[in-house]
Amino acid sequence: MTKSSSPASERSTGGKLWEFFDQRLGLSGILDIALHKTVPQHSQSVWYFMGGLTLFFFLVQIVTGTLLLIYYQPGGNAYDSVRRITYDIDFGWLIRSAHSWSANLMVFVLFVHMFSVYFMKAYRRPREFGWWSGLVLMVLTMTFGFSGYLLPMDELSFFATKVGLEIPSKMPLVGPAAASLLRGGPTVGQETVHRFFALHVVILPALFMLFLTFHLFLVQRHGNALPPSEERKPESARRSIRFFPDFLLKDLAMWLIALNVLGLFACLYPWDLGLKADPVASTPVGIHPEWYFMSQFQLLKVLGNWFPGAVGEVIGILMVTISGLVWALVPLFDRSSDNKMMSRVGTWIGILALAGLIALTVWGYAAL
Amino acid sequence: MNYPVWDVPILGNGLVIALIAVFHIMIAHFAVGGGLYLAMAESRALRTGRREWLEFLPAHSKFFLILTGVFGTVSGVGIWFSIGLAAPEATSSLIHNFVFGWAIEWVFFLVELTAAAVYYYTWGRIPEKLHLKVGWFYAIASLATLVIINGILTFMLTPGQTWLSVAGTGSEPDVFFAAFFNPTYWPGLFLRFLSCISLAGVWALLTGSLIDGRQRPELKTDVIRWSAKWLVPGFFLLPFCMVWYLWKVPTAQVELAQLGVSTIGAGMFTQVTRTVLISIMASGTILAVVYLAAYRNPVDFRIGFALGVLLLAVAATGTSEQARELLRKPYVIVDYLYSNSVRKIPVHRGELVVSEVEQFNKDGYLTHSIWAKAADARTVQPVPSDADEKPVTVPSDLDVTRGKLMFRGQCMSCHTVDGYRSIRRLLAGRNEKSIHNILGMLHENKEDSPYHAYMPPLVGTESEISALATYLNGLVVKPIE
Amino acid sequence: MSDSSDVRSKKDAGGRSPVNDSHVSVSRRAAVGSVVGVFSVGYVGAVSYPIYRYLNTPVERAASAAQVTEVSPPDAAKVKLGASQTFMFGSRPAVLIHHEDGQWSAFDAVCTHLGCTVKYESSKDRIYCACHGGVYNAETGEPEAGPPPRALTRYKVEVKDDEVIVSRV
Repeated sequence: MTKSSSPASERSTGGKLWEFFDQRLGLSGILDIALHKTVPQHSQSVWYFMGGLTLFFFLVQIVTGTLLLIYYQPGGNAYDSVRRITYDIDFGWLIRSAHSWSANLMVFVLFVHMFSVYFMKAYRRPREFGWWSGLVLMVLTMTFGFSGYLLPMDELSFFATKVGLEIPSKMPLVGPAAASLLRGGPTVGQETVHRFFALHVVILPALFMLFLTFHLFLVQRHGNALPPSEERKPESARRSIRFFPDFLLKDLAMWLIALNVLGLFACLYPWDLGLKADPVASTPVGIHPEWYFMSQFQLLKVLGNWFPGAVGEVIGILMVTISGLVWALVPLFDRSSDNKMMSRVGTWIGILALAGLIALTVWGYAAL
Repeated sequence: MNYPVWDVPILGNGLVIALIAVFHIMIAHFAVGGGLYLAMAESRALRTGRREWLEFLPAHSKFFLILTGVFGTVSGVGIWFSIGLAAPEATSSLIHNFVFGWAIEWVFFLVELTAAAVYYYTWGRIPEKLHLKVGWFYAIASLATLVIINGILTFMLTPGQTWLSVAGTGSEPDVFFAAFFNPTYWPGLFLRFLSCISLAGVWALLTGSLIDGRQRPELKTDVIRWSAKWLVPGFFLLPFCMVWYLWKVPTAQVELAQLGVSTIGAGMFTQVTRTVLISIMASGTILAVVYLAAYRNPVDFRIGFALGVLLLAVAATGTSEQARELLRKPYVIVDYLYSNSVRKIPVHRGELVVSEVEQFNKDGYLTHSIWAKAADARTVQPVPSDADEKPVTVPSDLDVTRGKLMFRGQCMSCHTVDGYRSIRRLLAGRNEKSIHNILGMLHENKEDSPYHAYMPPLVGTESEISALATYLNGLVVKPIE
Repeated sequence: MSDSSDVRSKKDAGGRSPVNDSHVSVSRRAAVGSVVGVFSVGYVGAVSYPIYRYLNTPVERAASAAQVTEVSPPDAAKVKLGASQTFMFGSRPAVLIHHEDGQWSAFDAVCTHLGCTVKYESSKDRIYCACHGGVYNAETGEPEAGPPPRALTRYKVEVKDDEVIVSRV
């Protein structure tokens, strides 16, 4: 397809319509960009799909989340309204399961996306802001997960949130006040549900959309990054495919696969609803946060056992904060493909982070 | 419990069979469809002068030989091991009926294996025409194995009235052919054949994706597109075969699709329906993904996407097989043998005609269980009848042991304690009285009971059932921190 | 679509005459187009059907509730003291109880826990759900034990001559 054959040249009704919108919205400019955009094609190009997959699961979250809003009631009725969705409303179980599963899948592909971006060194100049906005999106996603987990107010979510909020409360000075502010009182209860609900459906989506737009704008601005192995090749040996329609249709195929995987999980393993949360009941054995918080949880647990008093927790929170900072600052010291030393340091930090996360998570589950 | 019980924690022995079986079917269907693929591809290459295909096909047939000859055969033996351990009564019934059928299948199987090896090792060593004949010979032999095993597979869901009328009399082998060509034989065969053809395409896309698109763009385009076309017949014909198949399945089994399996909540899709939906969705999506990722741009079709297509194929195959198994609830062999290995139909034992259900209810399930005796001889001592009247006190050690043996004998073919269909999760929040009530419903197994359609009758005496309730209650009691 | 024709021309250049001539390609394009169309319709349908049913549930429930307001179960007058009868109130099962003291009461017979059908146990004068052991009061329908979260919906019972009329409150 070249420009001369674009729909604007046709004189049919469709052509006139196109002209009407084009003149007012500048569509041909957008089409032009889409037609000229290319995506590099090489042995590692499968990782280029991960960002799109994260976006897909996020879109599923918006649709299913909006549907759940129709019957969900925060506060005292929270549990009963979720029970109604799960057992009474037609296909309510499916919508709820799809929401929960796609949340988990979103976090998973987001991690894959982050690590693939990291190891392809796509954070280097001029893409530092893409990396940073991506990290903000990751923190927002995990907050989404944490706040959403409480909303059904069943036994598991109640106690997991209770345990989870112990982490911020261990922070020196501001900790206890911050945790109380999040809970809306000394313990997790109806007030907490209201707060988490506001966070989950208003504040986080607004922030997420803002950073997502920025992130996507940067991706469009700078295009897909080449991994160092491709950069070393001469220009003539590199290959690319057109973004429109070739990459987009492949992306569509990927999204179809993702939809099937989601359907598989949601249909075969519908999300359970436990017993209604009973604040005075004793915490069931082996209560633990969602898997994507397991590594931090385990780190704090282990350090808390090693050191007396709250010292362990403080050290743990410091460690998590410092690792997060190092992770965010990597683009500042691993900047170019020429500096082999720093590049290697960057790679090792990545391997260390990945191994650490996996090891702590596995350890956490084994220690339950 | 005339055989030892195979205790697989978390997964449950049924799921072990399922995992092995899905793995096996993915390969076994390829062994049938792939044979046709190789023969047709070679014949097409020779006829139209596509010489470069004769470089791709040996590579593909090497992959084929290793996959089918090693993993296919080993997993096939794995099915034998696992079904023999998990459902010995059912396996024994099948062998008694079909020993001759299996013997024939093994003959074809040996022919098939030999032909596959000959086919691969004679590439370029014997005249092309002769080599092609070996290919066709393989294809026919492998098709014959499907034609035979299909009779035994479909028999379990629809043994047919002829066979059921002689079941238990000892003269079942006389109606071998009626049992073999049972009501779902033909639709089952067509379904499997279409699945074989589609899987041949899926696996060929996998090896095709490994062709270097930059070096051999024409060959890769031709291989990918031709292989993609193998998915088309299945896509269009499978829905019709599915309807044909379901039409031949007894209504009581089809009705399972309208009944809640995991929950009885209104509007809840049943497990069967959900599984069928996934299989339809995944089968439909395969073609779309193959078109978008492979057919439109074959040169750039890589292993990643090929694995994605394979994943969808596993999902479609796995869920279809699971749906077929679920349709059989509450039986292993419909209307003959319940999933807890108790026979529904009275059995001739010498002069006597015995109904196992009545016998177990009267004399006790554990009394008739050889392996219960071996596990703990005390369990089969007749318990004095006034034992039932005693007020509930701390459960005796013996009660728990008897209950556990009941659980192993009658629950464990479908349930696990903590994993798949966890009994602890399903009974959570209930006390011993309420557990006993549910067991009572399962024992009575009335037509209008919500469990009637998918759970077998619980057999045994009142004291055995109470012991089971005691044991289950012990499992459910929550550990407190 | 232009990409596929690129490859086709490459193949032509390869010297072999491919199966698809240009006129075949037009009809093939139409065929592919229609398959894509069927696919899209199928997918959109598969996704929007559950959503429609999900949103429409209260409408359906209200419609079926409004359909029937009054039922007189056949042979209800013959129900003895201390006995009960199950009947259909519209599309839902209901239970009619004739108490020992001569009073009548009627309830929706769908357990408020997970939707099993409940039954009246005369020996214990209670309504019982066998699925999870829920117990309701036989006169008020209030949950007394087990998992049920709410009372059973109560109906009004009137006895006129030989007829028992059950109606919505």
